Amino acid sequence: MKWYCIPERYDCIDAHNHVWGTPNNGPLNVEQTKQLLYSADCLGIRKLCVSYPITKPGVTVESMRYVNDIVVEAMKMSDRLIGFCFVDAALGQAAVDEVKRCVVENGMAGIKMYHQQFLEDDVQAPVMELAAELGVPVLMHAGKCTDPATMASQPYLSNASNFLKAVKKFPKTTFIQGHIGGGGDWEWNLRILEEMDSDNYFIDISGSVIDAGIVRRTVNAVGIDHVLFATDCSMEEGVGKVQAADLTEDEYMKLFSGNMKRIFARRRV
Amino acid sequence: MLFDINTAVGHWPFRQIPNQTLPELRRYLVSQGIGGAAVSSTNAVFYKNTQDGNLEIARELEDYDGFFVGVATLNPLYAAWERDLETCAKLGFRALRMLPKYHAYEWSAPEAQAMIAKAGELEMPILVPHELVNYRQRHHLEPEKPLNFNEFLKVAEANPNTNFIYMETGVKPDGNYPKNLYFEMSRYRSSYGDVLATLVKNVGADHVLFGTGSPFKAAEPAILKLHTSKLFGDELELISSENAKRLLKL
Repeated sequence: MKWYCIPERYDCIDAHNHVWGTPNNGPLNVEQTKQLLYSADCLGIRKLCVSYPITKPGVTVESMRYVNDIVVEAMKMSDRLIGFCFVDAALGQAAVDEVKRCVVENGMAGIKMYHQQFLEDDVQAPVMELAAELGVPVLMHAGKCTDPATMASQPYLSNASNFLKAVKKFPKTTFIQGHIGGGGDWEWNLRILEEMDSDNYFIDISGSVIDAGIVRRTVNAVGIDHVLFATDCSMEEGVGKVQAADLTEDEYMKLFSGNMKRIFARRRV
Repeated sequence: MLFDINTAVGHWPFRQIPNQTLPELRRYLVSQGIGGAAVSSTNAVFYKNTQDGNLEIARELEDYDGFFVGVATLNPLYAAWERDLETCAKLGFRALRMLPKYHAYEWSAPEAQAMIAKAGELEMPILVPHELVNYRQRHHLEPEKPLNFNEFLKVAEANPNTNFIYMETGVKPDGNYPKNLYFEMSRYRSSYGDVLATLVKNVGADHVLFGTGSPFKAAEPAILKLHTSKLFGDELELISSENAKRLLKL
């Protein structure tokens, strides 16, 4: 092992993580959030981008606001937690208003989307245009799942081909493709991404899948300037698979924080 | 010393995997600070006559001064499995791997029960992977689902004279599990929520084994998990290597 804890010089940012509420729409799960911060301490992760996505269809204005209020609570609990605002663009103006509330009024740093719609669908346009105007990234849950159960339960799950379409359709918006290791045929995604040629495209390495070579091959496919460190709650998996990639010092610096700081610098509000 | 209960060698047809040979795998494991490993044949997952895969690695294992310990992979629906298991035991294999999803039998099938009983007689623990690779990235020729843990558990409970090591799993760390059931730890969370420590607290440090899943998976996460687990001293020793040595009679 090179290190059991990511060295401070990398100023590590986890680009994709989560906080959760307590049952029955209760307040922030403080104990779980403390556990997350403890784990980050163990592994040398300085800051974490957190969201609370609704993972099923049927998002309402109320449920969308509730999950984002939980993220605001988390941001108040620790300044190491950087909020991402969950929205379902199908809610139209309410989704746009929610982005403004979360990003402009409450200081969140990005937008989180799940698989309620494909990334490039027309319905996404108002949110994508606002994200571009505000200069904040859109992080979307993604994967190329090949098992019948996941394909049935996530029919609008975006994969790399949806990101290729989205960067063309919304050329001023910054995108983060969620978790190359989040489950699914990651090699398929990487073969598609060999065609990606956009400064506005990034991919994070999070997820529980730690297949040999996954990070190195992601870097080879899209270039180190487009890869972000992240865990999506799979903490040791995230740190361990980066070590397995045997990156150079310059590559570590970009992956652990340099690329994410470049995204944050695009903010206009 | 770290002893890895979960490694394999041979060709995997659905994805290019590094370190597929014994020399490469040994070099890789040693580079990670791992001092020994139980190894099974990936070829035997796909050969109809699985014993050919076992014999391939048996011939090579002699060259490694005890670094590797052989794990036989057999299919209870195939001809001569009982003789094959006895042959493997004589050749020095110390455990059996069963793969109901890949070899297309029900875990509760009579043939499987016969093989489980025979392994018990030979005092060979049975390694049972929940899955070999994550099912969400399956090739269309691979199983659609992982093994059902509850079905597995019933069989483990019904065969108290055979030891089982359940691998590649993150099943509940706080269940009431039978004493002949052991857990390989590579897929348990560790520092986030103290899940690995909770598993150890509930099933006992003598029932958890270090494993990496190499060469399919990177070894580093499993090593990190041990490091961040809040486990020390005797408990850490048991998990790192002593449990494997005891179960494999090394």
